[in-house]
Amino acid sequence: MGEETTTLGTIHISPNAVATIAYHATLQSYGVVGLAPKNLAEGLTTSITREPARGISVHYNGEEIDIDVHVIVEYGTRITSVASSVANTVRYQVEKALGMTVHNINVHVQGLRVSNPD
Amino acid sequence: MNPENQARLERFKSMPIDGQALKKLVEAGLTWLRVNQQTVNSLNVFPVPDGDTGTNMVLTMQSAWAEIDNLGHRHVGQMAAAVSQGALMGARGNSGVILSQLWRGFARALHDQETLDGPSLARAFADARDTAYKGVVRPVEGTILTVAKDVASAAEAALKETQAPFEILAQVVPAADASVEHTPELLPVLKQAGVVDAGGKGLFYILEGMLRYIYGQPLDVALATVQPLSAMNLENTLESIEPGQDYEVVVDFVPASSFDLQKFYGELETIGTSIQVGEGDGMYRMHIHVPTEKRYQPIDYVMTLGTITKVALENLLAQMGHIDKKSGRDRIELANVEPGQIAVVTVSPGAGIARVFASLGVAAIVEGGQTMNPSTQEILSAFENLPTDKVVILPNNKNIILAAQAAKEVTVKNVHIVPSCTIPQGLAAMMHLNPDGEVEAVVAKMTRALDDVTSGEITIATRSVEIDGVAVEKGQVIALMNGALVLCAASVEQACMGLLEKADAASYELITLFYGGDLAPTEANRIVDLIRAVYPSQEIELQYGGQPHYQLIISVE
Repeated sequence: MGEETTTLGTIHISPNAVATIAYHATLQSYGVVGLAPKNLAEGLTTSITREPARGISVHYNGEEIDIDVHVIVEYGTRITSVASSVANTVRYQVEKALGMTVHNINVHVQGLRVSNPD
Repeated sequence: MNPENQARLERFKSMPIDGQALKKLVEAGLTWLRVNQQTVNSLNVFPVPDGDTGTNMVLTMQSAWAEIDNLGHRHVGQMAAAVSQGALMGARGNSGVILSQLWRGFARALHDQETLDGPSLARAFADARDTAYKGVVRPVEGTILTVAKDVASAAEAALKETQAPFEILAQVVPAADASVEHTPELLPVLKQAGVVDAGGKGLFYILEGMLRYIYGQPLDVALATVQPLSAMNLENTLESIEPGQDYEVVVDFVPASSFDLQKFYGELETIGTSIQVGEGDGMYRMHIHVPTEKRYQPIDYVMTLGTITKVALENLLAQMGHIDKKSGRDRIELANVEPGQIAVVTVSPGAGIARVFASLGVAAIVEGGQTMNPSTQEILSAFENLPTDKVVILPNNKNIILAAQAAKEVTVKNVHIVPSCTIPQGLAAMMHLNPDGEVEAVVAKMTRALDDVTSGEITIATRSVEIDGVAVEKGQVIALMNGALVLCAASVEQACMGLLEKADAASYELITLFYGGDLAPTEANRIVDLIRAVYPSQEIELQYGGQPHYQLIISVE
C-alpha cells in the first residue's frame, strides 16, 4: 500500500489502516447512522472477526487509492447531500493522514433507517 | 423600543400565529441570514468539506422559502410541513442537512396544530433538537446541535413564565446567542482559531431574524459586526484605498462601559471608510481610512468612549509608494557594466532589498526566494552574459557560498567571491565597490568591510530547539546576531530591542532595518518609533525589504 522510502527505510501503510481512517470519518458525517456490510458474506465474516472497518473497502493498485463506503442513511435527509458530505469528509481525512491523493471515493447507500414515521 | 414598534409588538402578541404568520417569520429568518451570510462564512475554521456554512444554510432556507412562497395555508402545521419539505429538497452541505432535520422535527410537532401557541412552540423546538441529534452516530458538541439543544431548553424554561409564543421566542434568541458564544469552550478547534461555530451562528441569525421582524427592526442592513481580532484583515485594506483616504488609523481601546456598536459604526462612517472593528483580549481594535484633515478625528472620538491603549497612524500614500516598488520588480535599474569594469552579482531574498542593492551599483541580482538557495546554474546565468570578465559574487548567505564557488569553477570568467553571510554584510561590502578599480584590491577591501557591520535577523522559530545556550519554543520570536541565535522573545518588538542592546547599538552611528513581507508596515513603523526613543543619537532608517521569513533584517554600523 502507500509506500514511502525514507533515509532509514520504507514506510508501508496498509489498506486496513486507510479503511479505519475512512470508517471514523464516515461515522462523523451527518446523516450517516451506520455502516453496512456490502453483502451477506462480509456481514458474517465481520460479525465473527469484529473487523474495525466494516462497510469500507480500500483498493490500491500500486498507483491509485479507491475507497468504497457502504452506509445507512437517516430517512428524511437529503441523501445526495449526505453522500457528498461523506465523500468529502473521507477524502479530506484520508489525504490529510496519508499525504497521498485518493483517486475515487464511491458512496453506496445500502439502506435508510426510519427513526420516526413522518 | 419606539412607540410604533411597541404597538406592532402588541398587535403580534394578540394575534394567533397561523400558517401565514409562520410564512412571514420564515422569510424574515431567511433574509436576516442572507444579509449576515459572509459573517457566518468567515467563521469556517478548517477546510470545511461542504464549503461555506453561511452560503449552504442560505441556500437551504431559500429552497424552503421557494416551497412556501405561493402557499396560502392558514394551518400552521401544513405550512411547517411545506417548509420542511422545501428544506429537505434543497439541503446543501452538512449544515444544510442538519438545518433541514431541525425543520423536519419542528414540523412534525406542529402536525395537527392550526395555530402556534406557547406549549406547541416549545414542543416544536424539542422535536427539532431530537430529530437533528438522531441523524448522526457521534454528535459533536459545540456545534449547531448544541445550539439547538440550548434553544429547546430555553423554550421549555420560558414556558414556565409565559404562554405567549412571541415572548418565548424573545427568550430563546438571547439563549441561542449565549450558546453560540459558548461553543469555543466545547470544541477546542474553535477556541484555537478564536471563532464561534459557524452553523450555530447561522441558526442564531435565523431565529434573530424572526424576532427582529416581530419588533419591526430592519432586516436589510447587517448589524455592525465585531470580528474576533484574529479575523481582522488589515494588511489587505490597501487594496481598497479610495481617493480622499490618505491615512490609516488603528486604535486599540477599552470601552468605559458597554458601548453601542451601531452608534459607533454610524459615527465612524461620517469620518472615513474601510471600517473594521475587532474584539479580543478584553479590548477593541478599530480600523479606518480617513482623509488627511480628519486624521485625528477617530482618535478624539474613541477617547470619549473609553481608554485608548494604542494608536497607529499610517500614511497610505507613502505605503502606496511601497506597493509600486513591489510590483515594479522589472523596473529595478541595475548598473550598466562596461567591458573591463567589475560586475557584482548578488543574491537577494526580497524585492525591496533587491532595489537597495541595485541602487548601490549591483550589475545582476539572483532572486533567493523562499529558500535562499539558488542553484549554481542560476548564479552562472546571472553573470555569464555580462560584457565583462571581472565578476564579484556576494552570496549574502552561508549556504550559497558553495553554489557560488561551483559557478566560479565552471566559468572562464575571472570570478571572486566576497563571502558575505548576511544581507547587511553584502550591503556593507557594496559601499566599497569601485567598478574601475583593480579587482584584487577591490575584493580585499570589500571583504574587510564585512566585519564593519553587525547583522541582525528577526524571525519566528519553526521548531523548538536549544542552540547556543538559548532554549526556544516553536512559534517564539528569535533574534540572530551575525548568524548566531542570541535571544528569543514573545514579540518582534521585544526581540528587536533585545538584539540592539546585545549589538551595543548605542556605540554605533547607523541602524538600518529592512522589514519583510510578513511584517505589516504599520508595525514596522511603530517599532522604529520605539527604537528612536531608546536611541536618540543614532540615525535610524527603515526600508521595505520584502523578504520572506525574516520579519526584520537589521544592520548596525
